[in-house]
Amino acid sequence: MTRPNKHLNEKILLDELREVILREDREALTEIENTLNDPRLLSEKVNPIIEQHLEFLKSEFPDAYRTAVGRQIDARLELFKDEMIGHMYPEMGKIVRKYVTHQFQLLKERIDGTVRNTFSLKTVKRKFKATFLGIDESDLVLTGADSIKIEEIYVIQRNSGLLLGKAAREEVLDQDVVAGMLTAIKSFVEDAFRRDSEDLEMIQYGSYKIFIQNFHSYYIAVAMQGSLSASESDVLSTKLLKFAHSYLEKLENITDLKIRNISTKLYENFIKDQ
Amino acid sequence: MTSKKIILSGSFGVGKTSLFNQFIYNRFSDKYLTTIGVKVNKKNILVDDTEIPLLLWDIAGEVAQDKVPTSYFLGASGVIYVFDLTRPMTYQNIQTDINYLKDLLPGGIIKIVGNKVDLVSDEQLENIRTSLPITIDIVTSAKTGQNVEELFLDLGKELIR
Repeated sequence: MTRPNKHLNEKILLDELREVILREDREALTEIENTLNDPRLLSEKVNPIIEQHLEFLKSEFPDAYRTAVGRQIDARLELFKDEMIGHMYPEMGKIVRKYVTHQFQLLKERIDGTVRNTFSLKTVKRKFKATFLGIDESDLVLTGADSIKIEEIYVIQRNSGLLLGKAAREEVLDQDVVAGMLTAIKSFVEDAFRRDSEDLEMIQYGSYKIFIQNFHSYYIAVAMQGSLSASESDVLSTKLLKFAHSYLEKLENITDLKIRNISTKLYENFIKDQ
Repeated sequence: MTSKKIILSGSFGVGKTSLFNQFIYNRFSDKYLTTIGVKVNKKNILVDDTEIPLLLWDIAGEVAQDKVPTSYFLGASGVIYVFDLTRPMTYQNIQTDINYLKDLLPGGIIKIVGNKVDLVSDEQLENIRTSLPITIDIVTSAKTGQNVEELFLDLGKELIR
C-alpha cells in the first residue's frame, strides 16, 4: 500500500511546484486577456503605438514615396525613352530652332553693321559732319536709318482667303484677288511642306517682302520695301498684335461696314504716317 | 455684299479654266490650258439689284482628297463641279466626288455642270442624263459661251436666297 501513496504525494508536490513556477505567467496571461477583451484598456495600450507609427510615416513617407515613385518614373522613362523623345523633339526643336535663328540673325546684323560702318566712307563723312556741325553722331545715325516702307497691308480670313480689311499706298491690283492668291500660295506651301503645323511667315522677292502674322481665324499680310532686320520684325510683329487686339477681336458676321472700318484703321496705323 | 468664295472643281481637262476665262473675260482659248495649282479671279454679278462679288478659285486637276489641298476648299460658299460630257471617265466618280465635297462644305451650294455641250448630240446628252446617279444642274459650252452667264447667275441667286 505504500507505493500508491508515494505516487499521490509526488503528484501533489508536482502540482504545487507548477503552481509556484507558473503563477506569474498565468496572472500575466489573465491580464493580457482582460486587456484584449476591454476596448478601453486595449486602446490605452495600442494607441500610443499607432500614433508613434503615424508620426514615423508622416516624417518618413514623403522621402520613401519620392524614392519609390522616382525609381518607377526613371524605369518608365528608360523604357519609353525613344517614344518620349519622339513626342518632345519636334516641339523642343521648333522652339530652339526659332530662338537660335533669331539670335544668329541679330548677331549677324551686329557684325555686319560693325564691319560695314567702322571704316566706311559714309562713317567717316558722318564723323566729319558731326564734328563740323557740333551734332551728336548718334542723332545723325538715327536720321539716316534705312527704315522699311509698308506699301500694302491686308487682313485676310484664314480659311476662305476673303479680305477683311485692306490699305495701300496706291492700288495696283484687285486686292480681293491678291488676298485670294496669297491665301492659295500660303495654303499650298503649308500643305506641301507641312512641318508640325508651322505657318508661312514671309514671302520675299528682291527687296520686296510680304511679312505674315498669323492668328487663329485670320492673318495679316504686310507688303513692304526695304530691309527688315530682326529687331524691326519684332517691332512690326508687336504693332500687329496690338492692332489685332484693338480692332480685330470680334470678326464674326463680317459686313461691308466692318471691312471699311478695319481698312480705315489699317490705313491710319500703318500707311498714313509713314 | 461681302465677297463669296466659289470653287471650280472637277477632273483634269473638263474645261474649268475655259469656263472661268469665258465668265471673267468673255473669251475662250482654243489652246489647251492646264492650270498649275490654283488661280484666283474676281467678278461681280448683279442679281435682283444686289451686286455679289464672286471670288472664283479655279483649282487644277482633280477633286480627290489626296490630290488637292483641302484648305483650298475651306470657307467657300459654293462649288461648281464641272465634268466633260464627251469623256465618261470625268463623271464615273461623280457620286463619290459630290459626297466628298458635301462633307468638306456642309450646307455649301454645289452646282453640277456638264461642259462641252457643243460637242454632243441631244440624244447623247439624254443618255448621259439618264445614266448618271445625280441630276445635272446645267450644261454649258465654254467655247460658245452657252449657258455660262446663266450658270453664274443661278449660283448668285442661290447665294442671296
